Amino acid sequence: MKETSNKFLIAALLLGLSFHGSSIFFTLETTYDALIHLFFADHYANSWFEPWNYEWYTGFTVQSYPPLVHQTIGLLSLVGGLKFGMFSVALIAIVLFVTGTYRFSLLMTSNKTVAGYACVLAVFSSSFVETLHIFGQLPSIVGVSVLMHALPEIYLWLKTGRKWYLATSLSLIAVTVTSHHVTPIFGMVFFIFPLIGMVLMDVSREQVNSMKEVTFKIFLNSFFKLFKRIVSFGMLSLVLIVGCIFPYWLNSKANPITQVPIPHGSRDNFLEITSSGLVFFLIPWGILLILLPYIFYRYYSKRYLFFGLSVTICTILGTGGTTPVPLKMLGETAFNILTLDRFTLWASILSIPLMGEFAYRFVQGDLKALIQSKFGAVYHRIIGGILAGLFVFMVVFTMSLNYFRPSQPQKIKMLPIVNFLNQDDHDKWRFLTLGFGDQMAWLSAQTNAMTVDGNYHSARRLPELTTRPIERLENSKFKGVAGIGSLQQFLTTPEKYNLKYIFSNDKFYDPILYFCGWQRLRQLENGIMVWERLNIPPVSAILPKEDVAKWLKIHWGIMPFLTVLIAFVLNIQMLFVIALKTKEKPLPDFLKFPISYNKFNRNVLRIIHLWSLVLAGVVFYGVYLFYIKNESQLSPENAIIAYYDALDFKEFEKAHSLIDPSSNIPIAQYMLEISVTDGLLSSYAKMDAIETEITAVNDSTVSAKVISQWITPLEKIEKVDYKSLSKIKGKWFLQPDDLNNDLPPDQLYSDNVTKYFNQGRRRITTEATHHEDILKQPVLEVVSAKLVHYDGSYAIIGEVQNIDNVPSDVILKGTLYNDDNKQLATYNAKYHVKHKLMPKESSSFRINFEGIAWSKTQDSIPDTFNPDEFTPVEFEEQPTKFNLQIAGNVAGTDLYKNVVLSELKIKDSILEGNLFNSGIQEITIPQLLITYYDENKNMIWVDHLFVKAGVRQQRKQHFDYTILQSGKVEIINDSMKNIFVNGLPNEDISDKIVPNRIIDHTNAQLQPIEHPDFSYIKIEINTYIGSPN
Amino acid sequence: MQKQRTYLFFLGLILLSSFAIVRQNKASVVMKLLTTKTDFEVGQTVILQFSNTQEADKPLLYCSNSYGSTLITSTIKNNTLEYVIPENITKKIGVINWTILNANKSLSGTLHILPKAEVATMETYIGPPSIEAGGTDYTMLVVIPTDSLDNPVPKNTLVNEKHQFLSSEETHDIFTDKLIAYRNIYSKKESGRMLVSSESLGINSKEFTINVMPAIPTGFTISATRPHNYSDGNQITTFTTSIIKDEHNNVVSDGTFVTFFITNQEQYVLKTTGTTIDGVATSKMIHPDYADTWSIKAYVDGMSESNSITLSYKQVIEDFEVAFSEKNRLITVGPLQSFMQQMIPDGLHIKLKIYKDNILVETLTKTSFNGYTTFKLKPAIYSHGNYDFSLETAGVAKQFKTIKLW
Repeated sequence: MKETSNKFLIAALLLGLSFHGSSIFFTLETTYDALIHLFFADHYANSWFEPWNYEWYTGFTVQSYPPLVHQTIGLLSLVGGLKFGMFSVALIAIVLFVTGTYRFSLLMTSNKTVAGYACVLAVFSSSFVETLHIFGQLPSIVGVSVLMHALPEIYLWLKTGRKWYLATSLSLIAVTVTSHHVTPIFGMVFFIFPLIGMVLMDVSREQVNSMKEVTFKIFLNSFFKLFKRIVSFGMLSLVLIVGCIFPYWLNSKANPITQVPIPHGSRDNFLEITSSGLVFFLIPWGILLILLPYIFYRYYSKRYLFFGLSVTICTILGTGGTTPVPLKMLGETAFNILTLDRFTLWASILSIPLMGEFAYRFVQGDLKALIQSKFGAVYHRIIGGILAGLFVFMVVFTMSLNYFRPSQPQKIKMLPIVNFLNQDDHDKWRFLTLGFGDQMAWLSAQTNAMTVDGNYHSARRLPELTTRPIERLENSKFKGVAGIGSLQQFLTTPEKYNLKYIFSNDKFYDPILYFCGWQRLRQLENGIMVWERLNIPPVSAILPKEDVAKWLKIHWGIMPFLTVLIAFVLNIQMLFVIALKTKEKPLPDFLKFPISYNKFNRNVLRIIHLWSLVLAGVVFYGVYLFYIKNESQLSPENAIIAYYDALDFKEFEKAHSLIDPSSNIPIAQYMLEISVTDGLLSSYAKMDAIETEITAVNDSTVSAKVISQWITPLEKIEKVDYKSLSKIKGKWFLQPDDLNNDLPPDQLYSDNVTKYFNQGRRRITTEATHHEDILKQPVLEVVSAKLVHYDGSYAIIGEVQNIDNVPSDVILKGTLYNDDNKQLATYNAKYHVKHKLMPKESSSFRINFEGIAWSKTQDSIPDTFNPDEFTPVEFEEQPTKFNLQIAGNVAGTDLYKNVVLSELKIKDSILEGNLFNSGIQEITIPQLLITYYDENKNMIWVDHLFVKAGVRQQRKQHFDYTILQSGKVEIINDSMKNIFVNGLPNEDISDKIVPNRIIDHTNAQLQPIEHPDFSYIKIEINTYIGSPN
Repeated sequence: MQKQRTYLFFLGLILLSSFAIVRQNKASVVMKLLTTKTDFEVGQTVILQFSNTQEADKPLLYCSNSYGSTLITSTIKNNTLEYVIPENITKKIGVINWTILNANKSLSGTLHILPKAEVATMETYIGPPSIEAGGTDYTMLVVIPTDSLDNPVPKNTLVNEKHQFLSSEETHDIFTDKLIAYRNIYSKKESGRMLVSSESLGINSKEFTINVMPAIPTGFTISATRPHNYSDGNQITTFTTSIIKDEHNNVVSDGTFVTFFITNQEQYVLKTTGTTIDGVATSKMIHPDYADTWSIKAYVDGMSESNSITLSYKQVIEDFEVAFSEKNRLITVGPLQSFMQQMIPDGLHIKLKIYKDNILVETLTKTSFNGYTTFKLKPAIYSHGNYDFSLETAGVAKQFKTIKLW
């Protein structure tokens, strides 16, 4: 008998390759993981045998991830570039998956038609589509596909005991191991253990006449009979799992994952966080959810009993934090390290053969007959239509998920950034990207420049990162307080990491960059803003690395491809046999246990019907809830929430539609009113929470107090608004707010300013900048400085003046010592200083000493976001002395000083006033620096206030500031001895330039206040201009 | 067989003994330095000659200078050993130490490579690039004239330092010492741009620029200009300093930061700032919206200050009308009229305080538009009853007791 080609398999292969093969070009690059794998591939392409990579996390080892897929992409990249490599590997993965599901289904069902159905359906199974097109987990797909290829071989080895099958199965296990480490480990549990059970059942079955006669005793007998084979396979595959990626295990042992777990959506409660439920439960299950009763019914039949257990466990574990069961099953540690969505993936893959079986029985088998006889042919067709429709819907929905809810920012053209880094030795410093999403990996793959960040969180090494539940600094705004906290630390003390350039793709971070002392360099042609920080030393030429033995490097470089080669040699012959049908082959053992599909269980059909009804009910209830919650004008609360949401997402048309139509504000007027308000709150804030209190109600009018919490990069803002709403024709509308009618007297303004331009190098040359072209560092003077203790934290406060004739950028670095001159802490001034000073301008400053937040109290990380969160460093000893290093560099930007304190009133410890913008730039974020003095006009503390709203040109902006609560400030040390400016002693410089300084000159102009501990204050104003023009 | 071995043994013995004789013939010969010259001008070929009788013996010569060390092989000419010191060593001035590497007795000595009295290039450094006027601050010019082989010239070579500042051009003679020539160039009383160059043995350096910046500012005066002296909360008063100069009468550098402190009648300290252009700093301030008297003084922090001036602003609104309508729930304020009875410019703040039973319920603030403002009190928020109102604008307050809302 000549073996015929399975038309279904061929159809599945063609369909899979054309469908996925063409769509990966539009999806793969925007997935979560694909670009990370690309970065690893780039590493291998450049240094195959050297596992140390300097580019991420100040250095990490690529031996922290199995190398096969990366190395394959790396090898192929030598032919046609990295992306060619990635897409080629993706195509290979698709072929492997389709053929893998066919062989797995054939093994399970012993029926080629059923297996054909299964593999066609598998091509479009939503879990596969999601894993490939949304997650981009290539190694995981390759791993599980090869594992599926291994399963028939394992079955044959256990059943027949032919050594050949042992060799083929082990060779495939080895490939699985080198492509993904987690897959074979859990694959053992969820795929191979049940398979062993099935083999035992089959062996037992052969001893008796029917499955029913298989008793536990016979089963146990078969187990002992096959014990040697099972153990030998188990032991050998264990050896392979350890041996094939031995350097990985060695590295895991040397660098255990001690970091704080990173929150993952698959651990959420899916009922609470519905988006996680959608992505990690609904989509991977897809149509299989409807078939669940059938799957359980079939898998709990005697032959498949162990698969039943396996699929049950996977299903339960896949529910994440919805039920407490997964946490209890896995334990705290494993629960927090593993991403639980993989269990759902495995459950769905385990179900593929049965999906094929169901489809077969529904389309041409006994189920069709049953339904047609019971409900009629039309009903069968309708049901078929619904199922097919749902199936297609799930595929389309999953494929287009990225379109509707983009997981990544828009694709960024990397070439300008790569060119920028290659220019003028910019790659001699580390860089950081903000708002790039996973595309940062693609940038890293294209440049040799190093970043402090990275995209593979298991490899993080800096304590600033490992102590926090954030993957990367890049997207820190989504990681709440911990994210922004980490970022602020990097931004405040960048010289520690040689971090000089920041590429920002997200305006959100601009204020924090500015107030941490960074300056805008220019916008690249792809719209990315480059920020730089002055006075940063370049990365040293020799960097530390954790070296590993040479044999480990060689092992790592050779073993993965060796496993593939061996697997090829062993399995290719069989592949040819299948493909070419040259040789008659005896029927494989697993085909000897066919199931006859002649009588579909009526009860199962009933249960499926019932279950479908329940599902439909749940879906309709969910839609109803969604409607009630989101119908914006059903209740005043809904209207307010919808209005604020619309404002938050800048959907002004929607916001306008919620405004009382009788107020007759056309959308053009409304847009104008909205667009003229700039500032921290309206341009840089993200709404975090909103609470509405209805204060007065009658039928048609309501007054509401709206308390909204906003996250900004600088601090958390609570805003209280009073809104009134009216009900018109059953719909609630908001009353428009009153406008500020302030009108400046003139139409056209003029202003004269001194501008500065530093052309860097004068001559076009690649040589190091000529010494003549290096500007003299501006001379600064520290007028006063002291170490104080207030409210539980230590700080260095003082006043610094630019005594040079050119504007200066100011960087202050304070170090604390104890009596024995032991260094205790060092930190830079964050935003308690004006970082840019005009000639002769002075600024008060305060240097806080921040510890690495929550490094001690890992468990008590607050859930609520507060970017202003401050963790004082814990001192083991009392700091008594300090050292202050100040560096000045010529500054040419951000020198806007036209802001006026035009009104001031102090009443009951509230300081109220107006800022007036007398210039011709719009001030986005005004900052007040408030310096406190004691009764002898000694400076004792510095505080700040970010004014929430911006100030338009020639207009006023109101602010109010609450004077600090009473508290004694303890002055620990006010010696000016250890203060250095540009490396020179402060005293020498000041004696030379300002020998006859008028001490405490402007103290006559301090504002007296009524306060038990403070007697005077001084107000200085710093401004951030969002878009200078 | 036995015999054969004996012959072989003897033959070997004879062969060995012949070697021993050869060895003995190699008696030590005294090598002697023939070259007497120890000082060479840089760039000359340096050959060390040694007497030698034995042709076979050619020991290596080890020589070193500050660049490094090398081994030199010899050539034999007319029974003398000649060592040619390589060019890369003779190209550099300084000391060369040499040693013959001979097993028995080592010969060693020292050579001096002397600089040439010619200049090919001028290596020039100057810094800092900006100094302060006044005659105490200085910049240092360092000149290293070098010959064609990049060696510094001999000690006491003449270097002319030349600089131009304003109308003066000066030349000074300086001499190289310890390879370099240097001079401190002091600033003069004036600020300006100084061009510096140097010359040695006919070769000139390029031009260098030193900015002589003005010193710290001294006292100055301020004045104010304003379109009118009414407190309309809208117009802008401009403060201007006199030309700020340092003690040597130089105009301070552009961008010098001046702070104007304004103390109002209530002793609150307001402030505005300005930066100088050609010594004049200007700064703006919006008029208050109520009658006030300001005392203004400007400072350059820690360095200088101005006189103090006083400005008064006259009240523009002496009184305003308030009308209650629509069941007293619509309060219309206005017309608000300015000094010529014109409507006050838009944006004047009007504050309405609402009291019920002498407790402040709410403060509403609105801005005027075309001289009027209306407050609407919604029944949903302010229930029926008696309220007290207080309206404040432009420093004028009006009370309305027991107004009934229904």
